[in-house]
Amino acid sequence: MDDLLAEFIAETREMLEATGGELVAWEADPADRARLDSVFRFVHTVKGNCGFFDFPRLAALSHAAEDALADLRAGRREASAPLVSAVLAIIDRIAEMVEAIEAGEELDSGDDAALIAALAADHAPDSSADAPEAPAPLLPEQLMMRRSDPAANLIAPRTIRLPVELLDRVMIGVSDMVLARNDLAHRLRIAGTQPTIDGPFERLTAILSDVRDAITRMRMQRIETLFGALPRLVRDLSAELGKQVLIDLEGGNVELDREMIETIRDPLTHIIRNAIDHGIETPAARLAAGKREMGLLTLSAHQSGNTIAIVVSDDGRGLDAEKIAAKAVSSGLITAAERATLSREKVLQLIFEPGFSTAEAVSNISGRGVGLDVVRQNLEKVGGSIAVSSQPGVGTLFTLQIPLTLSIIAGLTVEVAGQRLAIPQGYIEEIIEASAEALDYARMGETALVTFRGERVPCLLLADVLGLPAPEMTQGSHTLALLRLASGDLFALAIERIHSHGDLVVKPLAPAVMKCGLYAGSALLDDGQPVLLLDVTRIAAEHHLLSDTRARTAPRKAEIAGDMAQSAGRVMLFTGLDGRRAAIRLELVQRIETIPASAIDRSGARPRAVIDGVILPLTGLGDEPLVRAKLRLLRLSDGLTELLYAVRDVEDATELPASLGAAEDDPLVEGLALIGGRPVAVLDGHGLFARFGDAPRPATRPQCLLPDTEWARSILGPLVEAAGYQVADPAESDASKAVTILMEDVYEAASHVGQLPAGPIIRLRDHPDAAPDSPSIYRYDREALIKALREVRDSAPLARAAAMGAVA
Amino acid sequence: MSALLLMVQIGGRRCAIEAQDVKSVIDLGVIAPVPRAPSFIAGITALRSQALTVIDCRLAMGLSDEVWPCDSRAAVVAVEGHSYALMVDAIEDITTGLSEPGQIPGGFGAQWSRAADGMIETGIGPALLLNLPALIVGPETSISRNVHAA
Repeated sequence: MDDLLAEFIAETREMLEATGGELVAWEADPADRARLDSVFRFVHTVKGNCGFFDFPRLAALSHAAEDALADLRAGRREASAPLVSAVLAIIDRIAEMVEAIEAGEELDSGDDAALIAALAADHAPDSSADAPEAPAPLLPEQLMMRRSDPAANLIAPRTIRLPVELLDRVMIGVSDMVLARNDLAHRLRIAGTQPTIDGPFERLTAILSDVRDAITRMRMQRIETLFGALPRLVRDLSAELGKQVLIDLEGGNVELDREMIETIRDPLTHIIRNAIDHGIETPAARLAAGKREMGLLTLSAHQSGNTIAIVVSDDGRGLDAEKIAAKAVSSGLITAAERATLSREKVLQLIFEPGFSTAEAVSNISGRGVGLDVVRQNLEKVGGSIAVSSQPGVGTLFTLQIPLTLSIIAGLTVEVAGQRLAIPQGYIEEIIEASAEALDYARMGETALVTFRGERVPCLLLADVLGLPAPEMTQGSHTLALLRLASGDLFALAIERIHSHGDLVVKPLAPAVMKCGLYAGSALLDDGQPVLLLDVTRIAAEHHLLSDTRARTAPRKAEIAGDMAQSAGRVMLFTGLDGRRAAIRLELVQRIETIPASAIDRSGARPRAVIDGVILPLTGLGDEPLVRAKLRLLRLSDGLTELLYAVRDVEDATELPASLGAAEDDPLVEGLALIGGRPVAVLDGHGLFARFGDAPRPATRPQCLLPDTEWARSILGPLVEAAGYQVADPAESDASKAVTILMEDVYEAASHVGQLPAGPIIRLRDHPDAAPDSPSIYRYDREALIKALREVRDSAPLARAAAMGAVA
Repeated sequence: MSALLLMVQIGGRRCAIEAQDVKSVIDLGVIAPVPRAPSFIAGITALRSQALTVIDCRLAMGLSDEVWPCDSRAAVVAVEGHSYALMVDAIEDITTGLSEPGQIPGGFGAQWSRAADGMIETGIGPALLLNLPALIVGPETSISRNVHAA
């Protein structure tokens, strides 16, 4: 019985939430048949369910509402504002009663009769007047037609309700399965290839990842469930304040973690209250300002990548930057001098500062002692952020950014002093690997600074933070993670090395571990090892890196980029492999790459390297043989073509002086600049690209067709592959796009009948001796064969064919 | 009281944990230490896809962990929704409690009084019946030290 009752309460509540929006829509347009139907369905269901239980008052209320709505449906009555209000009042009472039943209390305010009478009161004058303007009752046929209206009987997707505990158990089970699979995969790798096992194992892997996706989706819920309650909220608030507000909801089908929906419910409600209370003007004021009487409140949700953006905008009076600034100065958040330097946009963000509230009088709508600072805090707690923009007289726009889910995040696993820890990917701005000199590591009292792109950034040593033995920062080369906090603050975290990255399923930590104040949760890596997730915001706050108001309004990323674009004279300083200091314009530098020497191919006319599966021309190598196991490269791009420039060391980005000295006779040097008192050759981007630039080419090897003999397959094949070719299957490849190797006798026979392959041909002969200008190569003349293969490969048609083949 | 009890040795003392609180006994695998955590938290370890907080019961009782041997197995218990693995000297046996937990003249000493409900007679002799929520809080000293460190 208890189960049944709990089911009843849950179902009623769920329907109430879903019906909230319908009710308001119905009130706005009582003739809307579809809405009326859904409201009717609700009271009808409640009435029906009451039959199982002993709730006479609930039954009486829902019965009365059902009667009134049935009259409306049948056209016996016409909807009027008092009637709609009476129905809404009854539905509110039903909600209160359901709450009371769940709490096991008796609801005492028993003037149900008055509510029921309100329905009838409206009825009486209506029927006595026998309104001639009332629409004729619908004929049965018309009713049938209405019924078949697709919108009216839209069937909700079939759902069942499950206890969260069961859901969690299934999730844990699937996680266990994934771990068991990983363990098995590990053992299979050790055992070597076993076709009979590998096939089914692959299938198991695929199925498991499907199931895992589905389970993850089980945690997700459409944001509709949150939006559903808002129209009612807006209606009640605007009625209370004597304003007219229309709410427009968009993106209700965006899915969000169930827990996350609960987390943002209060912040969102708060912003909406604020917008209606402070933002949207009274109808009279709106008319005076030349706006429509009815204010518009728009909510939209969009998903981009791993975050959801919810935008709340109103067309009210907008924020008064002067008033905000004055308030901030008077309450000591900023000084008058600081005020003068802040832009309007930055002043607006002050409303999220603790202890800020512009409303002169605390109203019972938005002034509940909970400010926007709490809204921001709550959002930041889950890794989200909030920003505001506003046009005076036009409106205000709040943008909330929230992560998709609490429980699965993309994380980077790092290692320090032999320990692995995870950092949420969202914080990571960039990973840099640089020598101590390039970092310009400096201790300022108890704080350390590094220089990153010409800016001094505070630096924490993760080992220090954790109380582990820390490396010496003044020498050697280091890996740093640059972390950008939600507040916009940037700081560097020195780690030892990057271990891996991927999705982490985050589990809560025991209270005693949480108390350390360093960790946000734990996760299991693929190998089943537990790893702690760092609480980046908390760590930054502990070390006073979370700035106060001043730096909070520090330029954001986009602005920095804008600034850089304006001062077009920024260059990246580096030391070439020849030891010469040089610079290249920063706009050309796409990325800094580190590749193993084995990825470099110097066999062709021009050196190339393979990066991310594409072949790019490589320059800056000089003539010396490569001695390093790894090579640092600047990846340059002019937008269309790319090239790689090998460097010994990347130093820094810096400002280019206005005048350049005359260049030497090197055509690739634009001029000489004096930077830091030393001459630096500024590379000529135009010259570089004109000479070496090349569109990225897929690293597909050109194809080669071999003679169909055992010798060719087992002896010639490996040589051909070593020369950078792929041995092609004659049945599948197009001879015109491949080089064909033919034995001399086969070649002659084919040329007699005119059936030579379309592509380039290399001819082999069986005997070492031949005429000096023979077009064929002795089949064991390794040098000549490799040379021929290389020449063919570097010739344009084949290279193009390879590129096209990869695109196709 | 005739409940089943898991008998363990902590710092050379015989202790009892109510068997209904024990989810399983596992072989301890790799333990990832938790830097900056109180010393009685040995680290976290994985039980299938779950993360367990490993508590060194000797340190949680304010004793040294070097004097006593350490069982390679640990008892897994759940307290307030979190799972813990308890590291002890030895996991001995499962037996039946023969009495209600009671006090003894002179008490058990501050730490033991904090973390135990009292003495209980069992099939293999008297033992201290542990109070798990109190045990996993750890000794007062280490908590206050940690607060200062943070």
